[in-house]
Amino acid sequence: MLTTVAAGRVFDYSFCLGMYGMSGQGFWTPQDMALGENGIVYVINRGAEELGQRISRVTLDHQFLGQFGAYGRGDGQFIWPRSIALDNGNGGNNGNGIRVFATDDFLNRVSIFDADGAFLSGWGQPGSAAGELNGPAGIAIDHNRAGADGNVVIVDSLNHRIQRFTADGEYLGGFGSHGDADGQFNLPWGLCIGDDGAIYVADWKNRRVQKFDADGNFLQKFEASPSGIGALQGPTGVAVDSEGDVYVADWGSHQVQIYAPDGRFIASLVGDAQQPSPWTQTYIDANPDIIKARRRVDLEPEWRFRRPVAVKVDANDSIYVLEAARHRLQVYDKVKDYEEHPLNL
Amino acid sequence: MPDKEQIALMGHLMRRAGFGAPHEELAARAAKGYEATVEELLHPEHQEAVDVELLYRFLPGYEGALGPPLNQAEWVYRMINTQRPLEEKMALFWHQLFATGNSKVDNPPELTQQIAMFREHGLGHFRNLLVELARNPAMIFWLDNNGNHRGAINENWGRELLELFSMGVGNYSEDDIKEASRAFTGWTIGPKIPRNPLGRFYWSFEYRPEDHDDGPKTFLGQTGDFNGEDIIDIVVKQPATARFLARHLYNFFVADEPQVPSWNITPPNDPAAIDALIASYDQSGGDIRAMLRTLFNSDFFKAARYSRVKSPAELVIGTARLVGNYQGPRPGFNALAFECAYQGQELLNPPSVESWHTGAEWIDGGALVRRVNFAAGLLGNTSLPGVQSIIENLQERGPMTPAQLVEACLELSGPVEVSDSTYSELLEQARQGGDVHWDSESNRAESGRRAGLMLALIAASRDFQFA
Repeated sequence: MLTTVAAGRVFDYSFCLGMYGMSGQGFWTPQDMALGENGIVYVINRGAEELGQRISRVTLDHQFLGQFGAYGRGDGQFIWPRSIALDNGNGGNNGNGIRVFATDDFLNRVSIFDADGAFLSGWGQPGSAAGELNGPAGIAIDHNRAGADGNVVIVDSLNHRIQRFTADGEYLGGFGSHGDADGQFNLPWGLCIGDDGAIYVADWKNRRVQKFDADGNFLQKFEASPSGIGALQGPTGVAVDSEGDVYVADWGSHQVQIYAPDGRFIASLVGDAQQPSPWTQTYIDANPDIIKARRRVDLEPEWRFRRPVAVKVDANDSIYVLEAARHRLQVYDKVKDYEEHPLNL
Repeated sequence: MPDKEQIALMGHLMRRAGFGAPHEELAARAAKGYEATVEELLHPEHQEAVDVELLYRFLPGYEGALGPPLNQAEWVYRMINTQRPLEEKMALFWHQLFATGNSKVDNPPELTQQIAMFREHGLGHFRNLLVELARNPAMIFWLDNNGNHRGAINENWGRELLELFSMGVGNYSEDDIKEASRAFTGWTIGPKIPRNPLGRFYWSFEYRPEDHDDGPKTFLGQTGDFNGEDIIDIVVKQPATARFLARHLYNFFVADEPQVPSWNITPPNDPAAIDALIASYDQSGGDIRAMLRTLFNSDFFKAARYSRVKSPAELVIGTARLVGNYQGPRPGFNALAFECAYQGQELLNPPSVESWHTGAEWIDGGALVRRVNFAAGLLGNTSLPGVQSIIENLQERGPMTPAQLVEACLELSGPVEVSDSTYSELLEQARQGGDVHWDSESNRAESGRRAGLMLALIAASRDFQFA
């Protein structure tokens, strides 16, 4: 359904963006995104084997601005690009605007670019000792709140822990170990930082999201209720809105699960892209056989999320869901002034 | 402790029923017992399946692969990483028998779905497998059954079902083909959302009763209003089917037979073995698992070491498993898939519905060079974990003579059984370095280097080309 009403919230489908593209306009098994200034979105593409690795720059009004990064081990290149985050430009780019931080969970490093994609620097050493990385997945930069220090928080996935670094890669500390107790992880994936500095981690194989304070103390977890609703089958991305509601990209169940701040399950989003994105529509319009074929089938499987891998929330509480297997972004609004229509229509 | 002969026999079983295994695994399995291992292999459901979540997390492009070789690479990953070797080997067997190719289907994920179906049904009853095959979308498209309509039959599926998939040439008439085809009218695939630009969507089997010819048919001497499953029920009861399947299993698992197209005029190399497999088929009602139990526990199987030329897939997968650097997700499985293709076996894309010719026909000058370079390159690479493990094993044995070095390397890499001439050449090379010592860092380095060289030479031998 295009509008989801639950527990006093309203989530309204807005639009979608993107399509498959081995290079150039389009995405290929995108893994993460970052919302920049002026409606610019950075999407990091995993590609496959030696093709398609890149960061795409697009706008929310469907302009393809360009791409940077490519397959390889050199500076600014990727083998397994995984996650992406932006800083606010105040943390060390000499007043030259935001920087783009990207993890590579094969090369075990973080690459840093300027807003236009020029490679600036990189850091990361493979290993399991403190400050070393093994499969760095999610990345977040602590800068969107009062008192934020601009430090980088990384999900060190194959070491089953969270590590904090300065923007230049100096190790500051970490927490977590392998296991399924509170505060432990099993192949964690994405993360986000809330306005209060709390760290939310998608604890992938433990099928839950855990919340920690800024010092790494366990606070609470988001998972299935005792009755089973709101279950997670493989959470990969997490975001928090201005009211504290928590959105989880559940890659394993092809849904986004939404929880109240107290952990109570609220609703699921399942994908609603009934209207193809302009890029997709252009592709369809140029292929008469595809137009014919589409008229003979139920298109619902196409609307639905397929491998939602990352979720972000902007300052207006719009929700952005990135789908790895549909190479697409679906956008929802959290409507604050919704008036219920008469139900007896 | 199992003796060398028991380990050698286990090596034989694991090469044939799987893709080989390192020496430590062979020793552990031999300690458990040969027949117990056969039973374990025959019941893959008792072992953990490949963790596809982990696979698709790290290699997301493999899920619903957009194009070759990604779908081939996905299968290569499974063949190397499976804990269910016979399940995967049977998938390869059925792929070679029911050869379906991306060259026409042009939907890589559909081929992957077909392989998944082989995993699920490949050790069950042949009747059920044929029904699943007839319903498989990739097969329907590959053999044009979507164009097989009431009143306007397309004989492609009906013909190959009888000729290539069950009975073999000479056991049916042209009228039988037409009648079988009539019975399969209405078995088709539903329209699907087109590929791109939003990824792949899957076909599904669709039965259209309005397009099915439900009139009376006479097939192999029986008359009735047959539908497709009735045809398969008749087919699987034919002696020719039991014989055909027995020869395929023998050719794939025991020893190279003449090429399939000659089977209606060329008797099997071992008629008693074929008869034993046929008896197993008859007694079990066409149960593949029962036939394989008979086969693996038979004397003719145990006596057939190194009597089959490895297929490219067997050579590539077996070597990769032995050297141990393809455990779990990592880049590079597509390169292994390409390697299979370069050696003459592009997985999921056989040259035709007649499949690949096997045995000696796997080998030509170009293919042999690729096979040797590939295997020697990996086995000679002393940085790889499986090779390091072999070297550690050698080191634990202490100082050794050149002959002992040769024999230990042969033992730990297969065990590989070589001809006298190969052995002489290996020994001659080993003698150039004298005795092997591990008592100092420089000696360990030199002995490790010599072991790597010896393993590369073994991989380059004629004998290593056989399973």
